[in-house]
Amino acid sequence: MADSGTPEPKSRSWRRRVQESAVYRSVVRTPPLDSPRGRAQRAFGNVFLHVYPVRVPRALLRFRSTWRLGFISTVLYAILLITGVYLMFFYTPAVTMAYGDMQTLRSQVGFGQLIRNVHRWGAHLMVLAVVFHLVRVFVDGAYKAPRQFNWVIGVGLMVVTLGYSFTGYLLPWDQLAYWAVTVGSDLVQYVPGVGGWMRNFLLGGGTIGQAALLRFYVIHVAVLTAAFFLLMAIHLWRLRKDGLAVGDPLEAHDVTERAVEALPPITPETVWLANGKRVLGVVETEDGPGHVREPENEVFAWPHLLVRHQVVALAVCALVLALGVAFEAPLRELANPNLTPEPAKAPWYFVGLQELLAHFDPLIAGVLGPGVLVAALVALPYIDRNPSRRPEHRRIANVVFWTLFIALAVLTVIGALFRGPGWGFVLPWEHLYFEP
Amino acid sequence: MTGPVRSAHDDTQQPLSRREVLEAGWKVGSGLLLLAAGWTSFEALKPLAQVGAGGTLSLQPPDAYPEGSATFVREGRLFVTRAKGELFAVAQKCPHLGCAVPFCAASGRFECPCHGSMYNVAGEWIGGPAPRGMDKFPLQIVEGRVVVNTAVLEQGSPIGTRKYDLPARGGHCAPESEG
Repeated sequence: MADSGTPEPKSRSWRRRVQESAVYRSVVRTPPLDSPRGRAQRAFGNVFLHVYPVRVPRALLRFRSTWRLGFISTVLYAILLITGVYLMFFYTPAVTMAYGDMQTLRSQVGFGQLIRNVHRWGAHLMVLAVVFHLVRVFVDGAYKAPRQFNWVIGVGLMVVTLGYSFTGYLLPWDQLAYWAVTVGSDLVQYVPGVGGWMRNFLLGGGTIGQAALLRFYVIHVAVLTAAFFLLMAIHLWRLRKDGLAVGDPLEAHDVTERAVEALPPITPETVWLANGKRVLGVVETEDGPGHVREPENEVFAWPHLLVRHQVVALAVCALVLALGVAFEAPLRELANPNLTPEPAKAPWYFVGLQELLAHFDPLIAGVLGPGVLVAALVALPYIDRNPSRRPEHRRIANVVFWTLFIALAVLTVIGALFRGPGWGFVLPWEHLYFEP
Repeated sequence: MTGPVRSAHDDTQQPLSRREVLEAGWKVGSGLLLLAAGWTSFEALKPLAQVGAGGTLSLQPPDAYPEGSATFVREGRLFVTRAKGELFAVAQKCPHLGCAVPFCAASGRFECPCHGSMYNVAGEWIGGPAPRGMDKFPLQIVEGRVVVNTAVLEQGSPIGTRKYDLPARGGHCAPESEG
């Protein structure tokens, strides 16, 4: 006891003893981190870390390489999943109960309102993050070969995100929810031929009632979640298989061709390596300590990228929590099918569509417009076969994309901020009719 | 033993080899399974027949509805209105995007708060983005009372077929939109 010295070495030895125990080592297989091989094993020996490649392009470490938008979307999704499960404990998808549950959540459940606020602001931020992720991938030309299909999956994930937002919007069963969804679902009616039938199928009847609430709830918590996980699995898998566009030089086609040329001749034994150099990279790290080729432009994902992701994740959590503390999620009066509030606005990400509806025929503005937009996004990598990713070689694609994007943004801002009762023009600094 | 093994291609006697039958079989089977899944899901999820809707409503005597007025009937979500002596049962739902259209007593018109569609007291289209006039229910006078059959929803009259010329009585309730 007398010669044990300061308590620090003692506690360290205690920890050491735990770490060296057979039980601990059966749970956590910590490789020695003093060699590149050990650091590589850290990433692919761990189920949570194996989503990451062992090595990533050094350029990826710059925040502005991707703005971390895909990762931010994923963090927001995790926040929404966790807060969503909390909310499910207090919510009954019945028209007689739902609104009362919201009031109970606010007045009686500990931190109930905060959880709801975080869920709401997180959802809005996720729509923004996903849209900006799409913009970033477009700007970088990262949808070009060989990543065309992953762009399509990404568009699918964006549609699922919007579906989440739209179905979630109805659940509080207040005036805001009821009328925003009334306006949104009636758009479907204008699909030629089958529109009315499709709308009734979605709502489970002719009007928004119990069947619609239950359907939206099940779609929100189960159907879209299954779809999201499936698409996300493909999205991340393809991201790993295709490699990060950030690490490729600007001419996508050159790189694939050169990479294939650089491979050893294809024999039945080496066919599985033909996917690209990254597979070879993993194999090389298995050669043994001290023999790893460490190219100038690649770094280990663990710890370099992981530490950056950690910081971004914490910042996102802090932001959403701060928003949740500062701003209450709106809850208006109980849904009243006989009284439309003035103005009745769709959720903000659809308000651009609503603005368009005030000017054009509903078939054009409400159905063909968004339909063509999504179809164009899906088809983009197959229409735009220009292999160059340099902005100066992509004038037409850039002009078309930014024209549509700015038009949609302007319509959304006008619809969200400059419209009042009867969809009349108001100045937001005189009276703001906007509830997110 | 029946001689050398014959490949599927040079076998002209049998139209299909066992391998081909099995290969086609699992594809057809999977297809049928998907079809069955689609059909059962559709049958399960298609909207149930409306319960409670579609009855006939027996309302007030016709004299209770004066010229140019619109009386809301909550049970049927409709207005009973009178224009140039004629009675109408006008559905409250805006044919544009389903908002509940209130009657503006000041102007004597239906003015939709959502996108500014406007209709006269007979439910005919006056302005705004709606594709037609307001939908209506058949209305009869039975034994001195107004009876509305809410089972039958008649589509509103198309734009440009206005029969009733009813100028606005006064100021509008909702500001006019340019739409």
